[in-house]
Amino acid sequence: MFPIYKKELQSFFYTPFAYAMAMLFMLLFSLSFSTGIAKLDNSHTWAFSFTEMFYSVILYFIFLLPILTMRTFADERKNGTEVLLMTSPVSTGRIVIAKFLANITVYLFMLAGTVIFPIITAIKGEVVMSQLICAYIGIFFWGAMYIALGMLISAFTENSIIAAIIGEVVMFALLFVDDFANTPFISQYPAIKKFLYAFAAQPRFSYFSEGFIRLSDLTFFLSAIIVLLIWTYIVIEKRRWNRG
Amino acid sequence: MITIENLTKYYGSNRAVNHISFTINDNEILGFLGPNGAGKSTTMNMIAGYLPMSDGKVTINGADVTKEPLKAKRNLGYLPEIPPVYPDMKVHEYLSFCAGLKKVPVGKRKSEIDRVMGLLKIKDVKGKLIRNLSKGYKQRVGFAQALLGDPKFLILDEPTVGLDPNQVAEVRELIKSLKKDHSVIFSSHILSEVSAVCDRVVIINKGDIRAIDTIENLEKSFTVSLVLHIKIKGSKGKAASIIEMTKGVREITAVDDEGDGVYSFTVQLEGDSDSVRDSVMAECLKNGISIIEIYTDRPNLESVFIELINRPAKKDGLRELLDEMPDESGDSDETEDEDETEEKEDE
Repeated sequence: MFPIYKKELQSFFYTPFAYAMAMLFMLLFSLSFSTGIAKLDNSHTWAFSFTEMFYSVILYFIFLLPILTMRTFADERKNGTEVLLMTSPVSTGRIVIAKFLANITVYLFMLAGTVIFPIITAIKGEVVMSQLICAYIGIFFWGAMYIALGMLISAFTENSIIAAIIGEVVMFALLFVDDFANTPFISQYPAIKKFLYAFAAQPRFSYFSEGFIRLSDLTFFLSAIIVLLIWTYIVIEKRRWNRG
Repeated sequence: MITIENLTKYYGSNRAVNHISFTINDNEILGFLGPNGAGKSTTMNMIAGYLPMSDGKVTINGADVTKEPLKAKRNLGYLPEIPPVYPDMKVHEYLSFCAGLKKVPVGKRKSEIDRVMGLLKIKDVKGKLIRNLSKGYKQRVGFAQALLGDPKFLILDEPTVGLDPNQVAEVRELIKSLKKDHSVIFSSHILSEVSAVCDRVVIINKGDIRAIDTIENLEKSFTVSLVLHIKIKGSKGKAASIIEMTKGVREITAVDDEGDGVYSFTVQLEGDSDSVRDSVMAECLKNGISIIEIYTDRPNLESVFIELINRPAKKDGLRELLDEMPDESGDSDETEDEDETEEKEDE
């Protein structure tokens, strides 16, 4: 398992890939940050909220995370290296986990870059640490769920570009599923509304951003990650059976 | 030892491999021969545990590939048809990754990588990105990967494709030298390659096994009798009956119309005596058929191969094939011939 993890990290860090992603992420974050600072003039409290920034950051995820995960399985299949992994004494489950952990590592690297903004704020002002830490935990889980989702989509196809585009569409839909559920039309049917709400990550993230860590929210993200990874495993195995 | 029992693969309703069984003994090189699309790669993918089989069983050193995949794969090195290389990695990075994947102990990795790079003569490109390598080098990097960890069993799917003649010879020598402590199964559609390297061959076409034997036996069993080629001018039917009635002729296998009343016959003879040629010639001349050309020759391995491949698929391909081999079939053929002559006499 470790060699696959290491190889994946090499493919991210020996190329400009991980650095470009982290840079882009920081650039986007800094846009939100500077908007937050710009608003200070008009506010009486001289405060701005990092958690509000995180909301816009999640929107950027939709464009960044599919790019991170698109190659995970699609490229293995395209290069014919899937055969190598499958005929090595490593089980498919471990391959999935190793690749997930590698993607998570790059994601943590991206998040780590954003820590600089609270640090700068802390130097000149005050940061509510509890809220910030909770928001980071929330955003970490949300991103991890999206990574598992992106990996699943990558397992479906041989073409990484298609994997990225489908990933963006699905993540976009999931991001706004609660808004959709709240529309007057859907509100007429409580059953459907309830069903759609079950997939909504945003209301759960809002608890994190307010400084709450609720077991039910953690369970939501963790179970989503586990289900998506198992689904990925099944898709890979199923493709082997259906090949031809 | 690798045992393959009743291996079958369906792609949808399309049967790619049809109940094949054979074994690969220790320290043996088994050639897997067949035209393109015969089911070679599918079979090898199944043996290596990449493709699940529709039916049947593969055991590698006692471990079932489907039931104990990790144990079975530990003894296996596999070079698929397309070398499984990462274009963005350098050669030594790639091999070091593969060594880890194959659970080569950390302390031995460096020497192991050096060893396989030496065997495949790729040391000079070890710092290059794989994407920049030529096809032949990529193929050899893929081959080196299969040798990592010194697995007891090697499955090589067309290992010499894309190599230049010089490298082909080197790789063949390498495969031969591997025999000492490995079992090798390697596929090819090139007959000369298989006959140069292998102890035994499995000939496969359209998913059926057509023959399993040593090259020598195959050659012997199909080349004991001569083939007579005769080109005549005159009545086709008359010539055919004269040829068929001549003693020592087994059957006419082909007739070609060459225009202007010229016909060429390909005739399978019994035994390997040239005297049949003389008697056919004498009979024809006696009946006023002019002979333009006549000669006998021996079928070579190439034509044996082509015959085996083109033989219509039979339900029990192997058994029927064995039945047809001379030591057992000689008698039945004679009786058939007698029947034919009797029928002709009746007419």
